[in-house]
Amino acid sequence: MDTATDQRSDHALMLAVRDGELDALGELFERHHGQLFGFLVKYTGDRAAAEDVAQTVFQRMLKYRHTYRDDGSFTAWMYHLARRCAADHFRKSNAAPHATDPVALGEHADDAPHAAQHATVRDDHALLHTALAQLDRDDREVLLLARFQELSFAEIAGILECSVGAAKVRAHRALRELRDIYFQLQKESRP
Amino acid sequence: MNCTTARDNFAALLDRRTALTAHLDARTHLASCPDCQREFSSLSQTLAALDAMPTPSPSPRLRQNFYAMIEEEKNSAASIQVATARDRRARRVSLLGWILAPITAVALLVLGFVAGQRSTPPPAPAGDTVAMREEIKSLQEQVSKMGQLVGYSLLQQQQRPANDRLRGVLTSATVENPNDKVLNDLIGSLALDPSTNVRLRALEALYPHADQEVVRAGVLASLPREQNPLVQVSMIDFLAAARDREAAPALEKISTSDSADPSVRDAARRALTQL
Repeated sequence: MDTATDQRSDHALMLAVRDGELDALGELFERHHGQLFGFLVKYTGDRAAAEDVAQTVFQRMLKYRHTYRDDGSFTAWMYHLARRCAADHFRKSNAAPHATDPVALGEHADDAPHAAQHATVRDDHALLHTALAQLDRDDREVLLLARFQELSFAEIAGILECSVGAAKVRAHRALRELRDIYFQLQKESRP
Repeated sequence: MNCTTARDNFAALLDRRTALTAHLDARTHLASCPDCQREFSSLSQTLAALDAMPTPSPSPRLRQNFYAMIEEEKNSAASIQVATARDRRARRVSLLGWILAPITAVALLVLGFVAGQRSTPPPAPAGDTVAMREEIKSLQEQVSKMGQLVGYSLLQQQQRPANDRLRGVLTSATVENPNDKVLNDLIGSLALDPSTNVRLRALEALYPHADQEVVRAGVLASLPREQNPLVQVSMIDFLAAARDREAAPALEKISTSDSADPSVRDAARRALTQL
């Protein structure tokens, strides 16, 4: 990849893709696929589904590249597409995301130096995964967008097609809901 | 400031983008209210746990599929450019025709009038009209068959570039009432074509004919040969949408196969619940 491509903004790269420079999408993929996948894993609760949806998001970027606007924000557009693709996935599978099996989370490494700390941290992650999975899908979506994706509330409101105020209220309500479920699960797991 | 108003500001205090500019009054209240401190602390802990959650990495398959898709699209884009250039030429020809058509029509009218003046033809018998209708019908059938033939020839020449084969599939997909030959060729493309794009388009073209047993059997027979998870999942979705119970044993096998891609296994499991 040349230096000129590296220095181009996401927006400039996507405009280039729109104008037929398809290789520019490769740079956007390298910049964003990890974060997009992370969002989708937490949103769907399923790695395989997250990978399929991420694949579909980039397919749609390519297919609908002519709809990308001159005044657009690439990240907001990407999550707008991701939201649609995930909705299609949920409609097709006709199933809510499954609560994560704590055993499956053993693959997530952490930096805890001792076994007991390691286990505790892993348990906390498992509980939070479970709490996220129990959260209403809309609440999970707004919370993940607001916390992880470095989007402004104006962009989140655009993605969710609501007002900025409503997006803020929904994100905070979702956090409170997650807190209640998470603390309840912690109480149940540590009598 | 009371607890309710202070808590209305918690969202802003907890958001790293607005924490620094949030209301000073809310901070002051928080410093002196144990209930609000507990509420704020629990939300803060939840967010900290959320931030500490590990983010898994996708498998290398995502990257491989992405770059394969870009290559496919480049080929398709080339074919679209060719098609666009052809359309432009066609439009130019059509414009010329539009200008020349009235002139030709007037010339023919004058010629017809002169010829009519010179000779009075006998009225056409009813039998001739019937014969003409039959001839027109026969010509229409021939045109339809020619459309199918174009599709066959493009589909059958697998050695031709992917763009031509793709165009062959797309041509066959537009045939309103495809005969067995067209369907067989589409199934052949689905099973044997080296291009993922062509195989996916062939499957799409077969969707309207999923009610035909031969089509469902063709897709089912192609499934074990298929290596690309994207096409495998599409085939499984097809069989599920067609409610093909014959597919159940094959789907059972895939759903428990360790060698199958996880997304394919999931698709097979989902399909089994729909059958």
